[in-house]
Amino acid sequence: MSNDIAKTQQERQAQSGAPRFRQPSDIIEREDGFHIFMDMPGVAKGDLVIDLEDSELVVSGRACAELPEGEKYLEVEFGSCEYRRAFKLSDTVDRERIRASLSNGVLELFLPKAEAAQPRRIEIKAG
Amino acid sequence: MVIDFGSFYDFPRYWDKVFEEFFGPATLAQRRAAYPPLNISENDEHIRVRAEIPGTAMQDVELTLTGRSLVIKGERKAPEGKYFRQERPAGVFQRVVTLNVPVERDGVRATLADGVLDIVLPKTEAVKPKKIDIQMS
Repeated sequence: MSNDIAKTQQERQAQSGAPRFRQPSDIIEREDGFHIFMDMPGVAKGDLVIDLEDSELVVSGRACAELPEGEKYLEVEFGSCEYRRAFKLSDTVDRERIRASLSNGVLELFLPKAEAAQPRRIEIKAG
Repeated sequence: MVIDFGSFYDFPRYWDKVFEEFFGPATLAQRRAAYPPLNISENDEHIRVRAEIPGTAMQDVELTLTGRSLVIKGERKAPEGKYFRQERPAGVFQRVVTLNVPVERDGVRATLADGVLDIVLPKTEAVKPKKIDIQMS
C-alpha cells in the first residue's frame, strides 16, 4: 500500500506541478437517461478532454488562473489546477449517443439509456 | 457521563497539527471555507476580484458596490431529477469584499467567462502612485 501511495505521489509530481482535483459532480437520472453535471470553472473548451475507453469515461481538464503581469495577489483561494475524474458506465447507457456541452464552467454529460433499457409498456392482446 | 479514555499527553499530535496547518497548502485548506472562492489581486491601476461561480448565469449574480465594500450575491440552482450523487453546492451565496482604497464607481467592469467572474475596480486618481519631477533650479 505504501508503494501505491508513493506511486501516486510520483505521478502527481510528474504532471506540471499543478494540484489535481476530482471535480464535484452531480449524477441525475431522468426518464431519457443519465445526466452528469461537473463544476469545472476556468476550463476552456479546448482544455477539456473526454475519453471513453471500454466502460470507463474519463473527464479531464486544466484550469489556468495566471496572474497578469504587474499584478500581485492579496488573497488567493483558488488557482491553476487539473481536474480528472473517471466514471464507470453501466451497460444500459447507449455509448454512441453520449453528448457533452460546456457552459458557464459546468460540463453537462448526457448519457442516454439504450433502447432496450428504456421502460416499455407491454401490449396485452386479447386472446 | 462520558468517560474519556484519550491520553492527556496529546502534545506530539497537537504539534503535528500546528505544523500541518502552518505549512500545508493554504489554497487547499481555504477552498471549502467560503463560497465562492475569491482571488484578489491589484496593481497600480486597479483592484481585480475573481470568483469561481460555475453554473451561475450573469443575470443570477448581483454585484453591489457600497461605500467601502463590494458585495457579490447570487444563487445557484440545482437541476431537477432523481439524484444519485450530489456534490455541487446549490443555493444562495453572498460574499463581501472590504476595499480599503477608494475606487472609481463608474469605471467598474465585470465579465463572466468559463464560470469565472472577473471584476476590475479602477482606483481613483488620488491614490494612484504619481511620479514627481524634480526641477533643476
